[in-house]
Amino acid sequence: MVIIFFNYLCNDYLLGVSTVNEIIFELKDVHYSYLGKFPAICGIDIQIRQGERIAVIGANGSGKSTLLHLLDGLIFPDKGEINAFGMALTEDYINNSSSARQFRGRVGLVFQNADIQLFCPTVKEDIAFGPLQLGINDDEVRKRLLTISKLLNIEHLLDRVPYQLSVGEKRKVAVATVFAIDPDVLILDEPTAGLDPLTVRIIIDLIVQANKQGKTVITSTHDLHTAGEIADTVYVFSKDKRIVRFGSTAEILSDQSFLQANNLVHIHGHIHDDGSSHAHAHLSLEKHSN
Amino acid sequence: MSAVSFIKDATLCEEHASHNGFLQSLDAKIKTISFFIFLLTAVFLKSALLIGLLYALCLILAVMSQVPLTFFLLRTWVFIPLFSFCIAIPALFSFVTPGEPVWFFYFLGVKFIVTRPGLDGAILFVVRVATSVSLVVLLSLTTRHTQLLKVLRIFGVPQVFILTVTMSYRYLYLFAQMLENILTAIKSRVGVVSGHPRGQKVVAWNIANMWNRAEQMNEQVYLAMLSRGYTGEPSVLTKSHPEYKDWAWLLFSLTICAMIIYWGYRR
Repeated sequence: MVIIFFNYLCNDYLLGVSTVNEIIFELKDVHYSYLGKFPAICGIDIQIRQGERIAVIGANGSGKSTLLHLLDGLIFPDKGEINAFGMALTEDYINNSSSARQFRGRVGLVFQNADIQLFCPTVKEDIAFGPLQLGINDDEVRKRLLTISKLLNIEHLLDRVPYQLSVGEKRKVAVATVFAIDPDVLILDEPTAGLDPLTVRIIIDLIVQANKQGKTVITSTHDLHTAGEIADTVYVFSKDKRIVRFGSTAEILSDQSFLQANNLVHIHGHIHDDGSSHAHAHLSLEKHSN
Repeated sequence: MSAVSFIKDATLCEEHASHNGFLQSLDAKIKTISFFIFLLTAVFLKSALLIGLLYALCLILAVMSQVPLTFFLLRTWVFIPLFSFCIAIPALFSFVTPGEPVWFFYFLGVKFIVTRPGLDGAILFVVRVATSVSLVVLLSLTTRHTQLLKVLRIFGVPQVFILTVTMSYRYLYLFAQMLENILTAIKSRVGVVSGHPRGQKVVAWNIANMWNRAEQMNEQVYLAMLSRGYTGEPSVLTKSHPEYKDWAWLLFSLTICAMIIYWGYRR
């Protein structure tokens, strides 16, 4: 089902947009501060290629969400520059309606708080909102609406009002609102936080499949298991709002002392099958010797 | 707490709008137009009996739409004294409406005379208010509020205004929920109902807190709209078109009103 949906979208929209490995985002020495006095990120350099799977991890308040908002052209750096699809991503670029429409059609952001993302009176209108703003015709929007709602098993929610939904349902609808746009780049801010295991699975499968069809996926997460599944490259933010390290997911996630130093794993005591107990840091499901 | 719950239920409850009844199955636009016609008829008729017929039709429609009659009567008759009795009662007496006396009584040594024209006028007024209030309440009970807001389009209200109002309505619930949670949290810590001065402080603090949250959320929602391509001119899915059943209902409503008005002029 997931494959059919993405094949259906890819046939019309995705193919020929960007070549694999082409640099689509380039951030050079990017600084951003809120109200000009509260630094949110400091001196970020990142290159993101078409089709990459990237996870941004870091403690609370380390600047992950700010980075995602910068990549989505919602806020603009105080210092440094961002290039997106070969163009400078500036306020002027986004204020131009034709370039904004083109950019919004290629980059989709799932917000951390689903209540912010779901502002329409019904779920159906929320899913249709993005494609309609981008000028996609009604019939095509209705087709996408049906396909994505079947895929996420939210058909029964279409006429419901968003405030009546559970947290998990809201998150699925929030993801659907962005998938309905069919962007080349999917940016997801904590997409699985606070969800039940089945919903987490559905969302992860959707992300993985989207990437297999050529979409670039950039995810911010605290969940290191999720990061292991949906990313090949991990960027780690430190408390001082900088990228302290980046590399392959396997390499970063296996460095326990590094993760511990950045508040991403914690030391805990536990008991083994043989009755022995000790305290140290490791991922919650990781097997290890005594 | 109960005040918040009451406001939430009164403004946001859509329990009856989701039933599978007659009025719920009609197109919101056509339904609103037909109720508007009923309202105009009730306003222009000068016979309490004929307005009573419209009221009876309203009650039949409530039953056909699976709205429990006792609930509906309670809901409407709570407001009717509020709107009508204060105006109607003085009109009963000879010092406001002179005419043929029907009944009199003494109060604090003053003779109060109820007159025939006063009584007729008061009955007409109360029946008219009761019918109008019932029609409006029935329309709002059987129509999702967001659909009702969209009906504003037929009066030429710009789409961007309707979008803003529907969004405000959507977030009203969220804030009501937040406020309820805050009050529950206060209650769980304080344990008892706080006194008047302290209560005032809590209310003031909550107003300030909600204002800040609303401002923050307003900015973030706007970013979420921009992120999905909003440029100031909202596009919405083309509305569903009324079906034959809707047009038949509109024709029926027009016929009923025309007949009642005709009877009214012949009497």
